[in-house]
Amino acid sequence: MAEKKGVGHAYNVDFLNVVFAASSIFLLLSTVWMVWDDYDRDWKNTQRSFARLQYNVSKLQYQAARDKVDRPKIQQLQAQIKAAEQNSKANQSKVDELQKKVDDTEIQLDRAGRDYQYMKATYDHDRYDFESARAEKKSGWEKKEQVVADEAKQLRDLDLNVQKLTAERNAAQQNLNQYTGSIGTLRKQIEDLRAEQLRLRKVAESQAPSATKDYFLNAPLLDFLAPTIKINQLILPDVVDDVNFKTVPKMDRCTTCHLAIDKPGFEKEKKYPQPFQTHPNLDAYLGSKSPHPIDRIGCTVCHDGMGQSVSFKDASHTPTGEKQKEEWEKKYGWEEPHEWDYPMLPTKMTDASCAKCHKQEIYLPQAPALNVAYATFERAGCYACHKTRGFENMKKPGPILTKIESKLTKDWVKTWIRNPRAVKQTTWMPRIWYNSNSDSKQDWVRNEVEINAAVNYLFANSEKWEPPVRNPKPGDAKAGEKIVKSIGCQGCHVVGEGSRDEAGPHRTFGQPLESIGAKTTYEWVFNWVRDPKHYNPNTYMPNLRLTDAQAADVATYLMTLKGGGGAEAKATYTQKDVDDTLLDYYTALMPAESAKAAVAKLSDDQKQIDLGQKVINRYGCFSCHDIKGFEKTQSIGTDLSEEGSKLVTRLDFGFVTDIPHTSKIGWFDRKLHNPREFDKGRVLQPLDKLRMPNFDLSDVEVERLLTAITSFQRDTQPIQAFPPKSARRDYTVAGRTLVHRRNCVGCHIIEDDGGDFLKLVADSSLGPPRLTPEGARVQPDWLYAFLRGPIQIRPWLDVHMPTFGLDDANLNGVIHYFQAINNNLEAFRTYDVATTANPVGKALFEKLQCQKCHVLGEIPKDQPTANLAPDLRMVHDRLNPDWLLPWLKNPASFLPGTRMTQFWPDYPKSPYPELGGDADAQMRAIIQHLESLRGGPTPRKGSSSNGVVATN
Amino acid sequence: MGFVKGIINAVTDPKIFFVGAVALLFLVLWKREKIASNVVGYGVLGALLAFFVFGTFDPNFRLIVTKPDNVPIVGLIFLLVFFVWYSIREAVFNDRRITAGVGPIEKDESDRVWVWPDLVYTELISLILCSVLLIVWSILLKAPLEQPANPANTPNPSKAPWYFLGLQEMLVYFDPWLAGVVLPGLIIAGLIAIPYIDKNPKGNGYFTFKERKAEITLFLFGFAVLWVSLIVLGTFLRGPNWNFFGPFEFWDIHKLEALTNVNLSEYVWVRLLRTGMPSFWLIRELPGILLVLFYVFALPVLLSKNLFKSYYQKLGPPRYYVACFLFLSMMSLPIKMLSRWLFNLKYIVNIGEYFFNI
Repeated sequence: MAEKKGVGHAYNVDFLNVVFAASSIFLLLSTVWMVWDDYDRDWKNTQRSFARLQYNVSKLQYQAARDKVDRPKIQQLQAQIKAAEQNSKANQSKVDELQKKVDDTEIQLDRAGRDYQYMKATYDHDRYDFESARAEKKSGWEKKEQVVADEAKQLRDLDLNVQKLTAERNAAQQNLNQYTGSIGTLRKQIEDLRAEQLRLRKVAESQAPSATKDYFLNAPLLDFLAPTIKINQLILPDVVDDVNFKTVPKMDRCTTCHLAIDKPGFEKEKKYPQPFQTHPNLDAYLGSKSPHPIDRIGCTVCHDGMGQSVSFKDASHTPTGEKQKEEWEKKYGWEEPHEWDYPMLPTKMTDASCAKCHKQEIYLPQAPALNVAYATFERAGCYACHKTRGFENMKKPGPILTKIESKLTKDWVKTWIRNPRAVKQTTWMPRIWYNSNSDSKQDWVRNEVEINAAVNYLFANSEKWEPPVRNPKPGDAKAGEKIVKSIGCQGCHVVGEGSRDEAGPHRTFGQPLESIGAKTTYEWVFNWVRDPKHYNPNTYMPNLRLTDAQAADVATYLMTLKGGGGAEAKATYTQKDVDDTLLDYYTALMPAESAKAAVAKLSDDQKQIDLGQKVINRYGCFSCHDIKGFEKTQSIGTDLSEEGSKLVTRLDFGFVTDIPHTSKIGWFDRKLHNPREFDKGRVLQPLDKLRMPNFDLSDVEVERLLTAITSFQRDTQPIQAFPPKSARRDYTVAGRTLVHRRNCVGCHIIEDDGGDFLKLVADSSLGPPRLTPEGARVQPDWLYAFLRGPIQIRPWLDVHMPTFGLDDANLNGVIHYFQAINNNLEAFRTYDVATTANPVGKALFEKLQCQKCHVLGEIPKDQPTANLAPDLRMVHDRLNPDWLLPWLKNPASFLPGTRMTQFWPDYPKSPYPELGGDADAQMRAIIQHLESLRGGPTPRKGSSSNGVVATN
Repeated sequence: MGFVKGIINAVTDPKIFFVGAVALLFLVLWKREKIASNVVGYGVLGALLAFFVFGTFDPNFRLIVTKPDNVPIVGLIFLLVFFVWYSIREAVFNDRRITAGVGPIEKDESDRVWVWPDLVYTELISLILCSVLLIVWSILLKAPLEQPANPANTPNPSKAPWYFLGLQEMLVYFDPWLAGVVLPGLIIAGLIAIPYIDKNPKGNGYFTFKERKAEITLFLFGFAVLWVSLIVLGTFLRGPNWNFFGPFEFWDIHKLEALTNVNLSEYVWVRLLRTGMPSFWLIRELPGILLVLFYVFALPVLLSKNLFKSYYQKLGPPRYYVACFLFLSMMSLPIKMLSRWLFNLKYIVNIGEYFFNI
């Protein structure tokens, strides 16, 4: 500014011109860039490439439809049209005359219709005028009444005229059709044949690239008018987003890119690329007939992520594994989502979201990943330390320790708790000491002090238990092994086979039997097997009703299972170490001086027990085991009821830096693999250390538990999102819980789940029965009696139904559940059971050789055991009469793989001549015959086989 | 490289940063003759640029500096340095002319007003360039949609908009009623009062330093140091839990700082007089109250007798007392900062009974 650039100017104007020109060019360029940046957005490019893909697919579909069209038929029809046209030509004058008549009446009808419309409008207006005038008592309203009445009459006349003309026109048309009608019908037939082809052509044409679309509607700057490329959004009033201050309907824009998600035809199997694939399960999700239609449920309520976003990154996609992660990083510049509280779940964990609406259901037929997750959660006993909604008031997962003295020795218990899995590979008992934050040399002494004190407390607080049979005689180990392997023990127990995750949650329901011989005494095992409820009245172990001799065989065999070393003590300790440790516990509770005094007051034995009490209290042993003195103590873990909704900022990553601190899944993954991980690198006093024990979970188990934890969500979704309430549903949910918590599914397949023992049986006909149709098959009161005291329905089986000792509420729960899943819920009813024999039925019965496989008092001799079938004398007592007919029609539809023959494969035709070859009548006759049979075994107490039901 | 970063992390500690900023201001004003040269001006800007380029190789530094919210503050640093340097340069040139007896350069041209085409044309060009800047900025720096605000989960650190970060920094030293209400109110009132207090016509319409030494120093201290440098500090150097982090330091949410602050009353009663704290608040806080009363009411009078004598005479009592009050209010911030750093002083007056703390 200091120098002059010319007279009267502060600046050199020529230079300013140059600057102006340059800046204008920059402005132009930046504007072009801006427009291009908008035009080039990811989702727009995605839609463009989908448009091309979809056009190609539609073209192919159209071509396929065109090739499928029946050409000869069309040609034939066209020939017929020609013939018909010639026929009408022959009567040309008549046709013309009739056509003229049709046209004339058509014109008259048109006029009359219009007159009627005018009159109607006038009438409506005047009527309202009159009505309002009368209501307001305006002067002259009486006159209006007459006008309206007149108009109403005129209107009726006009209407009649229209009806008359319509009839005339139709009559004329019919006359004409006598000559020309067949042409129209034939044309219609051709059109019908080509309908699919034409429809697909129209679809393809609408999708074809066009100049209007590409250069006008979707052109940069013009694409705000009516573009074909636009954001698709679903507004979902039934499911909501919680925006903290209130909840708002979900708004999912996922379909902006996932354009074929609800359209069949773009399946993954056909190798269509993402994001254009169809949802893998349209029958269950998104389909308009599915229970979760896309316009009600949308996407993010299940998958999570930011539904409003149309960018790959902001939508918070989460990869399923390392490979996909690297691929995404390269392709989309993906990074761990941190701008959305609930990033998308990895696909294998999506089942966790079912629990948002299917609350407190521990089994969902459509959610296998969640089912095994919950089963693992229960088996690991997570709920015992961590209060969790839906898992309250459950039995403690571990055995009772109130009678420990009569079962175990101190040395065995110490070895066991030092490292349970060193003794039993498949146990769920976790490792409490010698973990990553307590396995340095200076921790060893304290570990041993605490272990010893805890054990001393348990033994000092053990009550006496008098075994019902003292010093039982030994049995035969070989025979015992046969019983253990065949009677069904393995439905709940593993005998040292494979790993824990291979055995799965059903088969690890009970304690693993490996090295049980080194654990306890023969006497204890014998008495336990003979009557488990004597030692622990609350145990879930059922009574297998073994004879004393069988129990001795089993116990003798189990005592041969020695094996298993276990961990030795790593250090020895002195009384001073005990005192120091106890003092440490006391100092946390009171001033140092009082603590010293409190410790000094105790004798050495008292110190052990006192310290043991504090140790058990700190590590929460009482959460899983009944321990005397801890009956009312609260569990020690974090409440997990809403853990899945916890924000990542609430998690302490400590000095663990090799996982992103924005990943909730990453944190839980580490925590589950090593619960003490986040103590790494910290300076901590012993009592400040993390204390969750280590379950040595495998990757598979961690993934299951991650799914379970993720499913524990805060209540956000409104009631209209939930499955509709009904008694049937309630019974189903309660029953599923029951059959899973009692591990019925360890042996039986129910609703396509379970049957772990069945898989171990060589021939499935010799295993535990499939129970899905049970509610339709048997009479409820028979089932009630059977569950209370099972009888042998197929005596040739090695596997036995044990006595569970369920109370009436649970028994009824089971019965209602089976009825509910068969949609067969009914109030108490009696059955009309035939009491008189049916000779035709009997003849057919013999003809079909039912007795060849079915027992009728006597077990058929010449059949392989796999073919044998239940005693038919039980029919009237056991089976629901409504079940028999559909069962005979098609047995395999109820029990796939059944050996029962389908005798009427061509139903309703019958291969047998009796009763006029009527399959239905033949079946009814057989059923009547079966129902008249008496004398079979029954579980009902105090009633003969022709008991109450039969006489009704 | 780690060593250099370590040094930089250390010297950006708020104490050193603040004291350094004050020292730098006085150094600049003292050595203004040297600084007025183009070499120094562009050299400083170049060095600043080099520092940022060097810094961006560090992931922690890059994360903070390139955060879309913080980019304007980077611009602010450059603009502030440039304009301070530019005004000093112009002032130095004019001072030379004034000493030579020719008067400031603006006087030479005071009879001309260049509106067309100079003003209008340059305004148009500025408009266009600003548009370009805004467009390019909006394309390059995205503003992503984030998770819904959650009152139970506020961001850590919770930062005010950048222009309030100076005020937020004051919250470290003062209670909200002072740092958030009284002092900002005084800033506004003081800015309004300036034309009525300062009736000296020198420096009107031209750059000069010599003729307005005290005023310009005071202004630069208040604006560049107390306002802008605290914004820069708050933006780049305050991390989770409002802890201090060096520019190359990772923002660890678990970082702990040893803070044990002591009230003046404890100093007086416990440490000095070695008695217990009086139970009645008025007696307990009497030393602090007296000190504050002295600072606000007695000090201006004392100063009018010696240090500010000439101002007292020039301005007259009413103007002097208003100006002195505003000046002392402004100085209360650095005084409180210093006493915090030197003596761990928490409150001068701490009447917890009535939620009244100074």
